[in-house]
Amino acid sequence: MLFQKRSERLFIWIFFPLMLMMPLFLDGNIFYINKLSSILIFALFVMSLDYLVGRCGLITLGHAMFYGLGGYIFYIIAPQNEAVNFWVYTFYICVISAAIALIVGFLVLRTSGIYMIMITLAIAQMFFYYFSDSMEFGGIDGVFLYLKPETSFLGIKMFDLDNPTHFYYLCLFSLFNTLVFFKVIMASKFGRVVDATRENPERTTALGYNVFVFRLASYVIASALGAYAGYLFSMQYGFVNPSMLSWQTSGTALVMLILGGMGSIYGAILGTFAYEGLHYFFEHLTEHWMLFMGSAIILMVILLKKGIAGYIEKLLEKRS
Amino acid sequence: MTTSLFFIQLINGLQYGLLLFLIASGLTLVFGVMGILNLAHGSMYMVGAYLAWYFFTHTDSFLLSAIISAVIALSIGILVERTLIRQLYHRNHLDQVLLTIGMIFVFNALQSLLWGNDPQGIKVPDLLSGSIPLTDTLSYPVYRIFVAVICILLAAALYYTINKTRLGMLIRAGESNREMVECLGINISRLYTIVFAIGVMLAAIAGVLSAPMVSIVPGMGEHVLIACFVVVVIGGMGSIKGAFVAALLVGIVDTFAAVLLPSIASMVVYILMALILLVKPKGLFSN
Repeated sequence: MLFQKRSERLFIWIFFPLMLMMPLFLDGNIFYINKLSSILIFALFVMSLDYLVGRCGLITLGHAMFYGLGGYIFYIIAPQNEAVNFWVYTFYICVISAAIALIVGFLVLRTSGIYMIMITLAIAQMFFYYFSDSMEFGGIDGVFLYLKPETSFLGIKMFDLDNPTHFYYLCLFSLFNTLVFFKVIMASKFGRVVDATRENPERTTALGYNVFVFRLASYVIASALGAYAGYLFSMQYGFVNPSMLSWQTSGTALVMLILGGMGSIYGAILGTFAYEGLHYFFEHLTEHWMLFMGSAIILMVILLKKGIAGYIEKLLEKRS
Repeated sequence: MTTSLFFIQLINGLQYGLLLFLIASGLTLVFGVMGILNLAHGSMYMVGAYLAWYFFTHTDSFLLSAIISAVIALSIGILVERTLIRQLYHRNHLDQVLLTIGMIFVFNALQSLLWGNDPQGIKVPDLLSGSIPLTDTLSYPVYRIFVAVICILLAAALYYTINKTRLGMLIRAGESNREMVECLGINISRLYTIVFAIGVMLAAIAGVLSAPMVSIVPGMGEHVLIACFVVVVIGGMGSIKGAFVAALLVGIVDTFAAVLLPSIASMVVYILMALILLVKPKGLFSN
């Protein structure tokens, strides 16, 4: 059975049915449907970060680089004046960003710990300045994507991306698939070795596994999915801009991840929703929402050591 | 590029590098001695600049406002270390990153709450407002030279403190073997408070010194923070000497890149950093 933990099954049985019905509750309120879609997209991005940070033990402060690249790659390779096929371009974007991740990963994985945090940040900044300084990519304002792709698969048109509800379901579908995908990886032999490289790299090496190769493969997978999330995001509002790959985006994703609880597959989703919920709440309360948000983050680090997911698991353990 | 232009850019680069060193030294000191990665370090630079502006508009004396700002920064440092940073000593780097990101939020919010979001600026103090003529057409502002001199003096003071005084001996001992220092009956938590507060004060002084040269805007701290990261990483984390060399290197490379390669100017220092880390993954002066 894929989802062995009770908390995981509980989460999946509550979260996904609820999200499936959400457009009914919202009754066509486009603002909230769009808002939810963007939260789902970011949850997918945070989940890919969780795989790196929580599972592989590789802390990166530059993951947003791939989020932004997802959008920019699409802008670069897609023709301006005709609608392309969504699935085909999903494949292209994942492959190209995986190739970039292979090169970048080859450099950054030579370091570890605090140095890896710094060098991932530096490489992400490099891309940030490349896009924000170049006229070709519209500088700091970014570029518009005028045409949404069409989503026919084997002749069947699946989603109409101009329709917010359809787009919402595409995001939910993507998030679910990503969750299952990571779960399958983690349960496989590959995933077991990855766990071992996190817990004790020396011993894993002694057992005959090449730790670097496993880390590089994980880095490539997580980066490609991060780029997919960025691609979805740029689809939603039809633009790409450099703030997508700023270090603040990476930082926010890390905050969400810790808030939700890393290493547990659903912590990323919980954290993204909790953060966005708090943000929304404080933002409507006062224009100085950052004061409350910052205090909330500080309190959370001091009090909740394993995030919301850790707290839920503790509660479930107590009851059983 | 003519000789005089080259010369001016060189001084510009050195002066920028020295200012970077002032900020980065605090970052690297706190990391080296306490093992804390403080992302909110850039916010202290911003706080310094805003304090200088606030007190300058009220007292009209640059010296007085600089002293008041430094003292306030020192108190902020002590307060933050005692209440928040102290929680992090036995936590991993991730928790440190997170808590200090939370601090950035709080400092940014306080800044907009207390001083608003409009860009501010202060004028160069009268005594230092002149410029030194270099050739018939080119001259160099006295204030920038003044800043460079102050930075050199502070760097020398830092060097003296670390290498020649008892406090410096403790700092060096704390860097190499924390437990042993504690075993010898040294109050390590007081040492940590002092080191952190000094780091915060140095960043704030850099903010005060920059106040007449740059526009004081929200978010100015984050930009500087990233530049300091580059400096600290190139120099080797925890190494003051490394931070000094790297700061000058980054300052000069950044200044010349802006003149020679304007199209990729902001990327050049990051490329430099990536290249150096490829050859020496732990920076130039790591132990």
